Amino acid sequence: MDIVTKVEGANIIAVISGEIDGKTAPTAQAKLLDALQVGAGLLVDMQEVSYLSSAGLRMLLLLYRQVAAKKGRVVLVGVSDEIRDTMSMTGFIKFFTLADSREAGLAALA
Amino acid sequence: MGQLKFTFSDTITGYVTRFNRTERSFGLKTSDGREYTMFITPMTYARISQNLDEGYIDATGRLGELLEEENLVYAYCIFYPNGDDYRIEVKSMIFPGDQIGNYRHEEPDWWIKQIRAIADSYLKWQFGYPENQIDYRDYRTFLHLAGGKKGDYLQETDTISRLVYGFASAYLLTGEDRFLEGAELGTEYLREHVRFYDNDEGLIYWYHGLQVSGEREQKLLTSEFGDDYDSLPMYEQIYALAGPTQTYRITGDPQIMFDIEKTIDLFEKYYKDDQQGGYFSHIDPITLDPRSPTLDKGNNRAKKNWNSVGDHAPAYLINLWLATGEEKYADFLEYTFDTIEAHFPDYANSPFVQERFFEDWSHDKSWGWQQDNAVVGHNLKIAWNLMRMNSLRPKEKYVAFARKIAELMPAVGSDRQRGGWYDVVSRTIAPGEEYHRFTWHDRKAWWQQEQAILAYMIMRGVLKDDEYLRHAREAASFYNAHFLDRDDGAVYFNVLANGLPYLMGNERFKGSHSMSGYHSTELCYLAAVYTNMLIKKTPMNFYFKPKPGGFKDNILRVAPDILPPGSIRLTAVEIDGKPYQNFDAEKLAVNLPAAQHALRVKVTITPV
Repeated sequence: MDIVTKVEGANIIAVISGEIDGKTAPTAQAKLLDALQVGAGLLVDMQEVSYLSSAGLRMLLLLYRQVAAKKGRVVLVGVSDEIRDTMSMTGFIKFFTLADSREAGLAALA
Repeated sequence: MGQLKFTFSDTITGYVTRFNRTERSFGLKTSDGREYTMFITPMTYARISQNLDEGYIDATGRLGELLEEENLVYAYCIFYPNGDDYRIEVKSMIFPGDQIGNYRHEEPDWWIKQIRAIADSYLKWQFGYPENQIDYRDYRTFLHLAGGKKGDYLQETDTISRLVYGFASAYLLTGEDRFLEGAELGTEYLREHVRFYDNDEGLIYWYHGLQVSGEREQKLLTSEFGDDYDSLPMYEQIYALAGPTQTYRITGDPQIMFDIEKTIDLFEKYYKDDQQGGYFSHIDPITLDPRSPTLDKGNNRAKKNWNSVGDHAPAYLINLWLATGEEKYADFLEYTFDTIEAHFPDYANSPFVQERFFEDWSHDKSWGWQQDNAVVGHNLKIAWNLMRMNSLRPKEKYVAFARKIAELMPAVGSDRQRGGWYDVVSRTIAPGEEYHRFTWHDRKAWWQQEQAILAYMIMRGVLKDDEYLRHAREAASFYNAHFLDRDDGAVYFNVLANGLPYLMGNERFKGSHSMSGYHSTELCYLAAVYTNMLIKKTPMNFYFKPKPGGFKDNILRVAPDILPPGSIRLTAVEIDGKPYQNFDAEKLAVNLPAAQHALRVKVTITPV
């Protein structure tokens, strides 16, 4: 799993690739929380995420909570159908704004 | 310092030793045998303890009759310095019964009326019932003293589940449909809104709660409290099962059983310490690891405590065993009690158990507010539940431990001047001191009274020791005299040492993180069972409503609690209002007929 973050205007863009599971989720959370120190909106680009375990889901939920506490917003981009199904089954899907492309995601944060 | 030279007021509680009609004075001997002489004034008034939903019962005109030897009385007095002594003048009195030696809380329907009143108050406060339908979207954890909502939007999983437990218990005792509706809708709401079904692991855990606003809801995965911040504390997962499990006893709903089993899988897989025994108190919310460094934030890394080991039994596990009779749950219960018995006693150092541990069971005396303090009610809760367990799998060590607690606690945890049981005290006495110090205050919390009442009731019921009956009566009388809110409904959170309600801050609420209609209803349910089944030997009715195809093999188990084998029998069954004969009186089991609808089952259980 790899994360690259960059600041774009008032927002943070985080591009994640690989598998988010019990081993990698804590690292992903730490990096995303660090990135959040400098922006209000968070765009997580998951187009290259091949697998999201329940630990990854919990990580996203905690992340969402942190962002919401700061009155920020989270947009997930390129969530695969499989991950989308898992998020839907566990009741997570309603919390996040989902976008198909990075442009659409940034527009949602605007 | 010598005598305090000022007037003050306080309560003295004790048994009448004499009454001097000429002098208008009487003697009162406290629970620990100290005697006072007190005077009645022209303005002294008295009442008989009354239940919720009952009117005032004046006893002012009956003082001569009630101030008889051996009668228990709560006397609120003014102390006037008088030479080297005090003259104690009584302003008001409460008698726990309307005749000598009579205790109203031992009336067969006392606790049943009380649970009905409490459950109705919460139905009204939470949902506006009966004017409005029961809708858990309206539920709020925080309720004001009179039941009003505070304007916040928090729905904690635990508190919903605890209230569901209260409604289910009210149904078991009354058979009134609104309570089962409250229990089932609450259980469904928990499943739909705060249950996390983990596909990867095939197990279930429960969110801390929700923030709701209209149609929007925000799930809170982790605890929002300082003690447990950013973790999944075990007690929240345990209490998430309390309400659904009590509801399962009534309905046998297979969906509830699915959730219970998958949550127990979580306990066994992630909270249990297979190497050194017991259950961890917290796990990391992402990795589910009890040893995660992230738990250091709350000083909860690799810790075990009373709640994580001891709360399984009373919160859901005993009720699960009652409903199923499954050996695996009896084994689980035995494991928790053996763990408690092995690690909690610390009598070389303190009359109180040790409640917090590191993973190797060495004592943790540095955690948060607890440090080296004792929660009085946890000690009593151990005694109460050991006696239940002893009727399932008897062990001498269970009885010996329960007796030890019951014999030590009155001197160090109760108020033998005014009555009632204290909250949190230092576990040891410092050199030169005579009393265990009160950690925060000398107030008395409702739930700690419950533990004392149930502990001493069941100990009297099982062991037949009259000293335990005396403590049970004193504890139950104090609670019923002082904790019932006859103006606004349900019970007060705290009273001052003298028994007057304390109505400040969080402690003036009827709904909060700590109070939601659980302990007060648990007390009603089990005090009714112990009083009628074990002490007064009075038959009782219980109500069930099994779903078609719910209980395994169509067997409905109706034992009201784990009581000594052979002490009660199932003597009559009605199904949908008609007598029904296919039941096992000794095993307390009904062989249900095949049905396409939920059956209304009323059973009569009779003490032997």
